[in-house]
Amino acid sequence: MTFIEYRSLTPAQRVKYKVTEFFSLLPGRLKVFFAAIGKFFKNIGIAFVEGLKGYGKRFAAGDMSTKLSYLVMGFGNFTRGQVGKGIAFLAVEIAYILFMWNFGLYYLNKFDTLGTQLAHQEMGANGRPYMVPGDNSMLILLYGTLAILITIVFVAIYVANTKSAYEAELNHKAGKKNLTLKEELADFLDGKYHVTLLSIPVLLISVFTILPLVFMILIAFTNYDRGHVPPGNLFTWVGLQTFRDVFKVSEGASKGYTFVELTKWTIVWAIFATFSNYIVGMVLALMINKKSIKFKALWRTLFVITIAVPQFVSLLLMRQILQVDGPLNVILGYLGHEPINFFNSTPLVARTAVIVVNMWVGVPYTILQTSGILMNIPEDLYESARIDGATPVVQFFQITLPYMLFVTTPYLIQTFVGNINNFNVIYLLTNGGPNKDANLYQAGQTDLLVTWLFKLTMDSNDYNTAAAVGILVFIVCATLSLITFNLSKSSRNEEEFS
Amino acid sequence: MIKSYKLQRTIADVVIYVILAVLGIIWVSPLVWLLLHSFRAEGGVTVPYVFPKQFTLDNYKALFQKNGVFDYPRWFLNTFVVAVFSCIISTLSILMVSYTFSRLRFKSRKMFINIGMVLGMFPGFMTMIALYYLLKAMNLTQTLPALVICYSAGSGLGFAISKGFFDTIPRALDEAATIDGATKNQIFWQIILPMSKPILVYTVLTSFIGPWCDFILVRIIMGDKRDNYTVAMGLQKMIDKEYTQVYFKQFLSGSVLVAIPITILFLRMQNYYVEGVTAGGVKG
Amino acid sequence: MRKTKRFCAIALAAMMTASAFAGCGPATQDPTTPQSGGETTTTSADDSGDPLGGEGANGTINLKVWGPEAVQDILKSECATFSENMKAYGDVQIEVVPQGEADSATAVLTDPSAAADVFGFACDNLDKLVTAGALYEVSGADKDFVTTNNSEASVNAATKDEKIWAYPETGDNSYILVYNKKYVSDDQAKTLEGVFEACKAANKKFVMDAGNGYYACTFMFTAGLKIEGLEKNADGDDVQKFSDYDEATVVKTMMAFSKLFTENKDIFLNGETTKVVDGFKSDTVAAGIDGSWNFANAKAALGDDAGFAVLPTVNVDGTATPLVNMFGYKLLGVNTSTQYPNTAIELAKFLSGEECQKERAEKLNWGPSNKVVAESDICKSDPALNAILAQQANSVPQVGVAPTFWSPVGTFGTKIVDPDNLLTEDAAKELIKTTIANVKDE
Repeated sequence: MTFIEYRSLTPAQRVKYKVTEFFSLLPGRLKVFFAAIGKFFKNIGIAFVEGLKGYGKRFAAGDMSTKLSYLVMGFGNFTRGQVGKGIAFLAVEIAYILFMWNFGLYYLNKFDTLGTQLAHQEMGANGRPYMVPGDNSMLILLYGTLAILITIVFVAIYVANTKSAYEAELNHKAGKKNLTLKEELADFLDGKYHVTLLSIPVLLISVFTILPLVFMILIAFTNYDRGHVPPGNLFTWVGLQTFRDVFKVSEGASKGYTFVELTKWTIVWAIFATFSNYIVGMVLALMINKKSIKFKALWRTLFVITIAVPQFVSLLLMRQILQVDGPLNVILGYLGHEPINFFNSTPLVARTAVIVVNMWVGVPYTILQTSGILMNIPEDLYESARIDGATPVVQFFQITLPYMLFVTTPYLIQTFVGNINNFNVIYLLTNGGPNKDANLYQAGQTDLLVTWLFKLTMDSNDYNTAAAVGILVFIVCATLSLITFNLSKSSRNEEEFS
Repeated sequence: MIKSYKLQRTIADVVIYVILAVLGIIWVSPLVWLLLHSFRAEGGVTVPYVFPKQFTLDNYKALFQKNGVFDYPRWFLNTFVVAVFSCIISTLSILMVSYTFSRLRFKSRKMFINIGMVLGMFPGFMTMIALYYLLKAMNLTQTLPALVICYSAGSGLGFAISKGFFDTIPRALDEAATIDGATKNQIFWQIILPMSKPILVYTVLTSFIGPWCDFILVRIIMGDKRDNYTVAMGLQKMIDKEYTQVYFKQFLSGSVLVAIPITILFLRMQNYYVEGVTAGGVKG
Repeated sequence: MRKTKRFCAIALAAMMTASAFAGCGPATQDPTTPQSGGETTTTSADDSGDPLGGEGANGTINLKVWGPEAVQDILKSECATFSENMKAYGDVQIEVVPQGEADSATAVLTDPSAAADVFGFACDNLDKLVTAGALYEVSGADKDFVTTNNSEASVNAATKDEKIWAYPETGDNSYILVYNKKYVSDDQAKTLEGVFEACKAANKKFVMDAGNGYYACTFMFTAGLKIEGLEKNADGDDVQKFSDYDEATVVKTMMAFSKLFTENKDIFLNGETTKVVDGFKSDTVAAGIDGSWNFANAKAALGDDAGFAVLPTVNVDGTATPLVNMFGYKLLGVNTSTQYPNTAIELAKFLSGEECQKERAEKLNWGPSNKVVAESDICKSDPALNAILAQQANSVPQVGVAPTFWSPVGTFGTKIVDPDNLLTEDAAKELIKTTIANVKDE
């Protein structure tokens, strides 16, 4: 359906169309999505098997110097005139051996148990205790993971080394000259430019994002909680126990109950936070950009200035302003109104307050982001509506909103996912409070899953529960955004370039 | 008929002016409150009235005298240095990644894009402790370079918006340049980048502001090393239970001093910001 | 062929990373002794009479001490005295770094090896620190030193599993009633009803942070439901142990509180303790429940009108029941990661000793844990110190508090002071049940 066809529907039909479209496509999208994930792992498997096959084959077929490269990396390249490349391979091998010998092996050895020696104190001859050092499960898990990741990278380089040696041998036998290092490097600025550009960011992301992430995922499968904090304790693998706890909905207070309640509120929050900002921001943008309105720069600046103040300052400021004895209540007092305890009376008041404050924070962004697109809405759509006698309000709901929804769906989903993980607003404004539901475990009634996770880590040290909740939130967010991104126009159209 | 149409339009405009004025006041009034009370002489954390009774510069002066354990000028400088370096690294990473994903074609590109999209969605608190020990293994904890690494290492993942921008630059440009014998490296630096001022400014701006706002990571990385705190961390410290009674007004004035440069920068660069984000981000 | 070049780039980068690790690897992570500091300790101290156990023999001893900002200058001069005293045995260099007692345990647990050798912490963190193996046990002569000099309650606060783990340094980490004498008479300050009455008459507020478990536990303890350290649950994990209690009494007391707070909802302000002193300054608050760390601020705000008294009583079915609060102590701990355990222990003993406690009582109004100082004129003549030391008799020590305690008890308090909902008997029973279950993480 094109936009023009879509336009000809009544609002009710449009909603129906959007909703049915979403749900009828959902199973298909999910299928495609999981098929893609399956394919991804299948491809990895195939590549691995192929690599192994080639590895054996090349060893059998190669000559002495190729065979030697299986032991001394880079040897084959070195003897065929690729000195620089050979040295680079050798350097990798030496670095890897040094790393494993000095650092990696110690942790890898203990990775299966996460340590067995408990650090403890013994009494010395002078009547004072001394420490008998032991294993630190957390460091074993972290550095062990690091060693595994480095080993994976090393194996890949190692296999590439054998391949490179064999190819150099074939080239040599065929009488062709192998590329010099200079020639190869030149290619990195053109044909393989993507390698050059990606290598450093990928390296940084691997070490400082992916590695900690893998570490965190692994923690969900251990019993690392407040009873097992290193260095005085060891923790170990427990399989899926933590996930069972999170899903166990028992009577009274439990993690399961809290998880369900907070998930509900997180979704409500994300919907309200996303759409309130979106609609109000758009209306304001329309008003500011209306042709007959003057002082556009002034109006825009008034709103946009809040973006420029660091968020933690503006949110702490709002917290102060909404206090029961804060300025807003003072003004309410002048107007003869009872003071409202925004953050400490009923959950409904507090929840409304955070959504409204979130508008104060977020609407300026929407104004900036949608102004440009609003200008692009074909003027003739409005023209014809005006001739039909449509009021501005009707125009907004019949033209602007549907058009914008049509064009900016991926952006909305992104914002939605962002709001699910919106830590700052809740943490700085209410820190989860108030709590009148005694059944919540270590959480208040405005806590989102993400702030609960923070409390679990910082206050009650339930690291494994926090990790498990984090994984669940991540799966939802990732699925949502991957599906929308891969089906969005930009993703489908971009191949037209190539 | 025409007259009433005109009248209607005027009324609509007046209504819009009123709405804009009211909402505009609502939007800036918290900031005005912040500014006014940063000059407040009396009271502690809260006062039961809107306008301060006495004004003073003491809250600002106190920031620049080394009082107790708070060393605001030093923190400001730290944050500035960290912001500059992490801004350079972040901008380069983001541009490199987004340019690659947008204009270069290679095997498993789609896979890289998908992985990159979702990696940033993991709630990061648990990873903080891992980050800390990684940096410790490199002997970097409690130093400013550690902060630069933390703020910029993952920045390549924020490629979405600038990729969107690069997507809008016609492909024919690259092709013409390739025919003229330019390498891809030359195309990136000499053709595409000069055309990308809006997205460049947008990226620089957002990555420069980042370090001024983080108050969680820095707490773990810096520990007790107060000399290396950033402004956000220091301001956060000022309103800890232990200090807030004495330091709250300095927190306000300190916040104003942080907000001023960023606000000026932002307002001046606003148009680029709008251009960059509209072209790259919002349209699906 | 194609891929090999890509790997060249990665190879170089990997090499850089690897060498970064290799460089520091052997120093900090020797596979046989992964944690440093263990081997320095067994040297004998007694034969030479050297209190540092010979640690001074190998050059300068560097120690780091954590204390809150307010005490920095005093701490520095005290440490200088210590170094001077120890001159005969070694060169002791002490660095004093500001770190509040509330956060210090978290900071120690984040990375013990980067933390101070001797650090002050609030006693509710003792369990956490001991469980994590971050504190050296106090034993032998050091144990005698601690038990003979300090009040029994403060020693209990440093005890877990019948062993002493830290050196008490203060005995005042708690909260009492602070009021403005202009509006509340000393007599009215004796009962909660009187306080409310006085506030109502003056049209000023009464402040308490009832949603915060630290203050809200007062409602629980006053009702007779107290905590008694930790116990093992079926899974072998530490959980909170509650005292035996009479449900009827607890419910009655809860309902009495609820009645009082709903009746006085216009007077009562449920908010952070900063509002007490703020309210004194702006003359909107007549009384509040505030902690010892704010006494100086309260005195500065009210001058001679500042009144301090033990927590008032509440009328439960005609009986005036005194409020029971949670009473904490600040302790000095010796980090097990320290390179110089003997010197660190000596320093902790010195800083928690009579002289240093006396100096801090004089200069900072810190309530001592030391018996001699507590009986001295310094404490007797100060109304605030007097009141807080008297409160100790009606208190539950802040020891063996599970980390899961605070949040449910905060909810408990929020529901008790809920201005719009008078607690019914059934609701009270239900509330007790869920709160206990939640604290125990069942």
